[in-house]
Amino acid sequence: MIKIQKEDFNSEEEINKIKKLYSNVGAVTSFIGYVRDNNNDNKVESINLEVYNDMAYKQFEKIIFKAKSNWKIIDSLIIHRYGKLKVNSKIVLVSCFSEHRKDSFESCNFIMDYLKKDAPFWKNEFYDKKNEWLINSN
Amino acid sequence: MKIKYFAWIKDITNKEEEEINSELINNLDELKLYLVKTYPNLRKHFDKEVLRFAVNKEYVSENIDLNSVDEIAVFPPVSGG
Repeated sequence: MIKIQKEDFNSEEEINKIKKLYSNVGAVTSFIGYVRDNNNDNKVESINLEVYNDMAYKQFEKIIFKAKSNWKIIDSLIIHRYGKLKVNSKIVLVSCFSEHRKDSFESCNFIMDYLKKDAPFWKNEFYDKKNEWLINSN
Repeated sequence: MKIKYFAWIKDITNKEEEEINSELINNLDELKLYLVKTYPNLRKHFDKEVLRFAVNKEYVSENIDLNSVDEIAVFPPVSGG
């Protein structure tokens, strides 16, 4: 499932909604990304996250397809937020559901690596007196 | 064709998107020439090769043919996640 939304979400509820569909799922690996309070020695107050929505959706579909062809994944979940987000807000949740842990660990990592490198989102970080567009470096 | 701009590229073009239909633009390289001519402040970013292009929501790095119904996006390196 792919969701690109402004609203916050409850990670456990979102994961359970999918988990309860599959009794053969024995492993779920999740990554949650949050807005940090500092970056490059600047005190961060908030970020504004811009997205190219249609392309992001299409690219997420492609990466899930690739992940499913490399690992035994029963289902997957990507929730990525956009808009104005304050420090401590959730930005992204990626969860991978499989029978065994290796497939869920590795596929979750694979999807996150792609997401940081290619998903069309842009962070504009707001500090006390200025703001700055970021580039992912890790 | 529809051209969409994202992040700080919009600050240079002063618009989020525009429709361009010119007989002079038949491929991506010709579109890039048009863009640096129309928005001279984009040139240094072209020269540093920091800009990325998508045609119909797919990344494109080579010079491909374009047609009037294509949607082309111009954007800087991403920073999601």
